[in-house]
Amino acid sequence: MAFVSSGYDPNEPMKNRITDIGPRHYEEFYPPVIAKNKGKWLYHEILEPGVLVHVAESGDEVYTVRVGGARLMSVTHIREICEIAEKHCGGYVRWTTRNNIEFMVDSKDKVAPLKKDLESRKFDGGSFKFPVGGTGAGITNIVHTQGWIHCHTPATDASGPVKACMDELFADFQSMRMPAQLRVSLACCLNMCGAVHCSDIAILGYHRKPPMLDHEYLDKMCEIPLAIAACPTAAIKPAKIEINGQKLNTVAINNSRCMFCGNCYTMCPALPLSDKEGDGIVIMAGGKVSNRISAPKFSKVVVAFLPNEPPRWPSTTDTIKKIVEAYASGAKKYERLGEWAERIGWERFFERCDLPFTHHLIDDFRDPAYFTWRQTTQFKF
Amino acid sequence: MDENEARKTIVATLEGKKGKSKFYLKDFYAMFPEEKPRTIKNIVNKMVGEGTLEYWSSGSTTLIGLKGVGKQAGAEHED
Amino acid sequence: MAKHETPMLDQLESGPWPSFVSDIKQEIAHRKANPNNVELQIPADVPEDILGVLELSFKHGRTHWKHGGIVGVFGYGGGVIGRYCDQPEMFPGVAHFHTIRVNQPAGKFYTTEYLRKLCDLWEFRGSGITNMHGSTGDIIFLGTHTKQLEEIFFELTHNLNQDLGGSGSNLRTPADCIGMARCEYACYDTQDLCHTLTNEYQDELHRPAFPYKFKFKFDGCPNCCVASIARSDMSFVGTWRDDIKIDQEAVKAYIGGEIAPNGGAHAGRDWGPFDIQKEVIGLCPTGCMWMEGDKLMIDNRECTRCMHCINVMPRALRIGDDRGLSILVGAKAPILDGAQMGSLLVPFIKAEAPYDEIKEVIEKVWDWWMEEGKNRERLGELIKRQGFQRLLEMTEIEPMPQHVQEPRSNPYIFWKEEEVEGGWERDVNEFRKYHLR
Repeated sequence: MAFVSSGYDPNEPMKNRITDIGPRHYEEFYPPVIAKNKGKWLYHEILEPGVLVHVAESGDEVYTVRVGGARLMSVTHIREICEIAEKHCGGYVRWTTRNNIEFMVDSKDKVAPLKKDLESRKFDGGSFKFPVGGTGAGITNIVHTQGWIHCHTPATDASGPVKACMDELFADFQSMRMPAQLRVSLACCLNMCGAVHCSDIAILGYHRKPPMLDHEYLDKMCEIPLAIAACPTAAIKPAKIEINGQKLNTVAINNSRCMFCGNCYTMCPALPLSDKEGDGIVIMAGGKVSNRISAPKFSKVVVAFLPNEPPRWPSTTDTIKKIVEAYASGAKKYERLGEWAERIGWERFFERCDLPFTHHLIDDFRDPAYFTWRQTTQFKF
Repeated sequence: MDENEARKTIVATLEGKKGKSKFYLKDFYAMFPEEKPRTIKNIVNKMVGEGTLEYWSSGSTTLIGLKGVGKQAGAEHED
Repeated sequence: MAKHETPMLDQLESGPWPSFVSDIKQEIAHRKANPNNVELQIPADVPEDILGVLELSFKHGRTHWKHGGIVGVFGYGGGVIGRYCDQPEMFPGVAHFHTIRVNQPAGKFYTTEYLRKLCDLWEFRGSGITNMHGSTGDIIFLGTHTKQLEEIFFELTHNLNQDLGGSGSNLRTPADCIGMARCEYACYDTQDLCHTLTNEYQDELHRPAFPYKFKFKFDGCPNCCVASIARSDMSFVGTWRDDIKIDQEAVKAYIGGEIAPNGGAHAGRDWGPFDIQKEVIGLCPTGCMWMEGDKLMIDNRECTRCMHCINVMPRALRIGDDRGLSILVGAKAPILDGAQMGSLLVPFIKAEAPYDEIKEVIEKVWDWWMEEGKNRERLGELIKRQGFQRLLEMTEIEPMPQHVQEPRSNPYIFWKEEEVEGGWERDVNEFRKYHLR
């Protein structure tokens, strides 16, 4: 394995340096039928789960076959996507916001062979490489964050729970029996790189133990003022400690003020907070981003804590299935999960979903809390 | 404002700070209360390009300090 | 023989959903075989170490990654996230293992020619593992060694005409919906605006400029498929201000059951025959629709463009022709003071290249935030702290009822002296002539 230079000279980093050129221009990547009909689409139709047709003013049609993808993806897998796109789609392909892959063809007769090809491909372990679905009133792919595969403050894994959930929800990825679309998202800690706070169902990793203090090494590994400044609730202050007769600078944490965000750990590796029993999952529900019928909504915490149960997180998947089934049987056509919960009342939501209500679910954090308590005599028994 | 004077002020101010080597952009703005933040930001970023200053990123925020100064390089084994 | 035993991860190979474990295993096999004799610049067994670290996390219930803030490419404050494994001796291949954010093209369309070049580069100089795509929208290269960072950047810019995305206190990589490229609901060209602003603000994207992160997202219509209203400091949502276009023949076809409602989205269950009264007119949030005989009528002045009727009957109803976008500001995830949805700042603005009017709003907002924002304060939090009025003042936008859900319910108006006749300076002795002490 010999080092191969790209042409970059570490002694002269500015030599021939190209910067600030931005992304590639989108027009380079449009399939011809898209380039030709852009802005002139008349209507669309979902022909079957995962297959759409869009019809343009010119009479042109584009058929899209949507497949699910694990967003964690190898170059070997991407090359296989390329091979399929070259075989069926003239060498064009796109990804959706929710990590699905879309293969587009410009006539109907090309759909069946494409679909057959996609459905025939399986990994050695037995799972589909390219399951067709993710359209209409069903459950599409889960958007998620990194989790244990590459993040330093996650309270749960991401790819693992997503795989476990999508295996359980797979039938609804490939069908459209829901009252409306149902969006599931996962963020592996409360910082929410993946802003999951407006999802029909959100899976959120949450720590429950304040950081440990590696006193002996703290002042060697980190700058104390930065660790203090990193805390959003001002729970950290400077402190001194004596270890083996040596006076050391360190910090003290007011544990009752800690919201378990891990921001101090980012600044100071001597403050680790991950913990097998402490970490787990919060389930939130009832959010949406669309302005359709009702305004966008935040998701609400409906389960305060579920343990991490690798590799298949059964408590999490069971809870989600319960919510999904209660919604599917109770909501009216076009009603999103949050709209359904508001119509029947949250007290009824917990009953229908067979979820316990605990004090953790009552907001006690700063200003917005009051507005979530009930200020009316209207409630259901 | 003379840019070279500003450079000197920045270096001198950072060298004078004890126990902390990384700073937010705001801390640089505070050194030049009369100037527009954008002007100072541009000088700071230029000084990074010149190799006087360096960035330290938390992923969500960026801190800036004198190149090579501080405990981070040692802790991250990038020294 | 696998380098690390992964009994727990192996259980994620079964089941129908694409298994990332099986995928990483196929990459392991590919790198081992190395059929094209690629001179791999980081060890061939790196994907094995990735699985090994993950298996250990499954066993321990804890991550094994540490953060690193120093590494990056020279002169850029974003685009690289430093990562180090906390078990470097067990997993030497991934001891230092940094992520690179590659700025995705607007709309996420690709040619396979380009994708293959990306794959070749990432196999050659990295782990061969990616995210397609990261939460913000970038193509993520998941893990390479420190020494390869500049090499990859050099190759990306020189050979692929491709730049990095944002991280840190920068403008983050903007992202958009599919828009006019393939959607009949798009009210403006999301790809063009996204690409134009990404290029206009390259300096802000690559070098720290702000108190904290700043996100732009572009939704072509109020359906908000990229969730701009929930997760971008500045959200651009397409809209129109004239009349919804009605094709009465198509309305009849929907009523007659010849066309499936909602583009066929509900085909998986028998919901009974389509009932326009119940499913469209009755669900209209403003009650601005009615039937006159077999004709559908809309009082467009009362319409709030929620998209429901258009979503249900896309062949009968179309967005208006006087199109533009609304700008909403301040959305963010809950940390710290609670989540915020974007608040409406500009109800309507035309979205036509070169977008000077839009840039003007952006720059006024930035000037204010750069000046007044505290460290790590998102725009939404600054608006809360200093007030929406202050935002209007700084952006020189006239207050209007569209700006609020409802007027304030407390009368504690902090009048300014210049707003009150005669000012605040008064002569107390004059007052005492009529009011004894």
